[in-house]
Amino acid sequence: MSYVKRGLVAMSGGVDSSVAAALLHEAGHDLIGVTLHLWDADGEQQVGRCCAPEDRDDARRTCEHLGIPHYVLDEREAFRQHVVDPFIAEYQAGRTPIPCVSCNRTVKLTYLAEVARRFDATHIATGHYARLERAANGHLRLLRGRDDDKDQSYFLFGLPQSTLHTLLFPLGDLVKSEVREAGRRLGVPNADKPESQELCFVPDGRIGDFINRQGSPTASGAIVDRDGTVLGRHQGVTNFTRGQRRGLGLGGGATRYVLRIVPDTADVIVGEESQLYGQRLFATDAHWVAGRPADAFHGEVRIRYRHRGALGNVTPKGDGFEVRFDEPQRAITPGQAAVVYRADEVIGGGFIA
Amino acid sequence: MIYLDHHAAAPTPEPVRQAMHEAAAAAWANPSSTHAAGRAARQLLETARKDVATSIGAEAADVVLTAGGTEACNLGLRGLARGRSRVVTSQVEHPAVAESVRRLGAEGREVISLRVAGGRPPSGDELAVHLGPNTLVAIQWVNHETGTVFPIHEYAEACREREALLFVDATQALGKVPVDVGALRADAVAIAAVKIGGPAGAGACWVRRGLTLEPVLEGGSQERGRRPGTPDTLSMVGFGAACRLTVRRLAQQAQIARLRDSLENELLQRGAVPNGVAPRTGTVSNLSFRSWKGPLLAAALDLEGICLSTGAACSSGLEEPSAVIGAMYPDEQWRAGSAGRISLGMETTEQDIEAASQAFQRVLAREGDQNLKQISSLGNKT
Repeated sequence: MSYVKRGLVAMSGGVDSSVAAALLHEAGHDLIGVTLHLWDADGEQQVGRCCAPEDRDDARRTCEHLGIPHYVLDEREAFRQHVVDPFIAEYQAGRTPIPCVSCNRTVKLTYLAEVARRFDATHIATGHYARLERAANGHLRLLRGRDDDKDQSYFLFGLPQSTLHTLLFPLGDLVKSEVREAGRRLGVPNADKPESQELCFVPDGRIGDFINRQGSPTASGAIVDRDGTVLGRHQGVTNFTRGQRRGLGLGGGATRYVLRIVPDTADVIVGEESQLYGQRLFATDAHWVAGRPADAFHGEVRIRYRHRGALGNVTPKGDGFEVRFDEPQRAITPGQAAVVYRADEVIGGGFIA
Repeated sequence: MIYLDHHAAAPTPEPVRQAMHEAAAAAWANPSSTHAAGRAARQLLETARKDVATSIGAEAADVVLTAGGTEACNLGLRGLARGRSRVVTSQVEHPAVAESVRRLGAEGREVISLRVAGGRPPSGDELAVHLGPNTLVAIQWVNHETGTVFPIHEYAEACREREALLFVDATQALGKVPVDVGALRADAVAIAAVKIGGPAGAGACWVRRGLTLEPVLEGGSQERGRRPGTPDTLSMVGFGAACRLTVRRLAQQAQIARLRDSLENELLQRGAVPNGVAPRTGTVSNLSFRSWKGPLLAAALDLEGICLSTGAACSSGLEEPSAVIGAMYPDEQWRAGSAGRISLGMETTEQDIEAASQAFQRVLAREGDQNLKQISSLGNKT
């Protein structure tokens, strides 16, 4: 028995994945829509909460519009275990985690790769803004999406070659306005749906409240300056991230910023903005997209998703790497990903220690 | 497309389609109206009621027509609950019964939920010890996911001896085992059209003459004050026509069982684990597959043109592990998440079973990946 090779498309119900599906469908792919149900939102009412029934409905409507099958698969257990629980633990340890990296690597794309195999599908398409390019040696190079503003290559550095070889990013060469335009042209039902900028499982962005609701309250503590002088109290270290200015509740005087969080004592150390700058970072748990570089090299490093990137010397060390920036960088934040680029190419990344 | 989900809904046979087509011109009228249009609809409705009643050995006057099986179950058991302080049920009921019982419990009644460990339903004696004049028993005749046949006649006898009331959910029994309310001596029996090739919006609750059935909906005094609302005459015509085919359906059971056995035996040889034990109807095979989550397997087979279910679909499109299989095998919870329900009907052919068998072969061959062992959610660690 023979049939056309199949592709699986990951459908969140948002515009991007819907348009990705529509574009591939237009190009003649035999597609299967899959929506992963990862989380049951609680306590949030606004649109944009994760895996809401209306998002599943949007994904289903798009698939019906395209005339392709659509399935919802339940991965709540894996998402909690591999994404949400480590996220909470990181915050409690005073760091600022980036759960999208581990979600893509450990849950979403790994799971979809196995689903694709079970469905006898050869590739997986997503609505990520990133590009893949085949190198002369057969390796795939991971590149920034064309849309500087939407580029999501930062979140994808952890994917192994075996996963990259199954992936298609139909939106990689488009900018957002072109995506919406394509959505309207192809009659995608949710082409004008607003999008969320927050973490999918914390749509209101109030991470401290989220962690409390998950039954993992953190100890309150003191807000102190660098000399150890207590300036105030706070309701839990999970409410803070390095570089934060708002929500300290210190009243008037000089503007102060969070410099550091000490998880053992629950102290939040604050100071001047100038004290936020550093020129060096060490990243652990590194992944190199096309293999570990043998030598140090000069590259561009992004230290958070919205960071434009800064030049520096990158030296692989053990399972991590060190970066010495050419210029000091503001708020190098433990837990965030440091992702190394050469021009448009993602060389690798790790987590800031 | 090969349809092996008859326990969810049975395909509409041609005579049913025909009957509804012919009735459509007159069935729109309100059968409570006394004018000519109303009388025409009334005639269709009462003919349908008679057909429904005949299929379960009942008098038409004792049949309350409802908008489907869930309403019939709600009505049958809530309608008899007044004055009963204890409700006895089983752990593997359909939500149409289980949720109504849960609500009766929340309202202050004592609820006793009998185990169906290993898929074995309680015996009449096991039921009897919980019964008294204060008791309402709400229990199914045939399990929707495994086809397990409960000893309903033993239950009826035990209930009569101890003056308990008995509500029977016969939605999966009709057309699969002979249903004769005259011989059964229960107090209320619910059936549903969708399981026998009729419209999903039609059901019925038979109630023993002389018993008061309290309505669960509020409104007019239709259906002798037991079910308010304008009856859906067209759906009832379909229901009646489907009921006229139950004799033919019953006559096919041995042949259906033979087809079921041939597919099941093959899948057992491929490592599937059977859920539910005899006695069961010949229409269904419920199997757990260690390396698969039920919904993933159902989707993979759907892509091969085979329609089956995990037995626990809900409207959101999200499937929870089967509560029925979980209750039957409490020490082997993996079974509930990995169960697939293959259910056959009188339209199922030998060719269907052969094609299904080949599709299973193709799909199950994809299970051996080492990768999946790292992802607990995909299959089961063994």
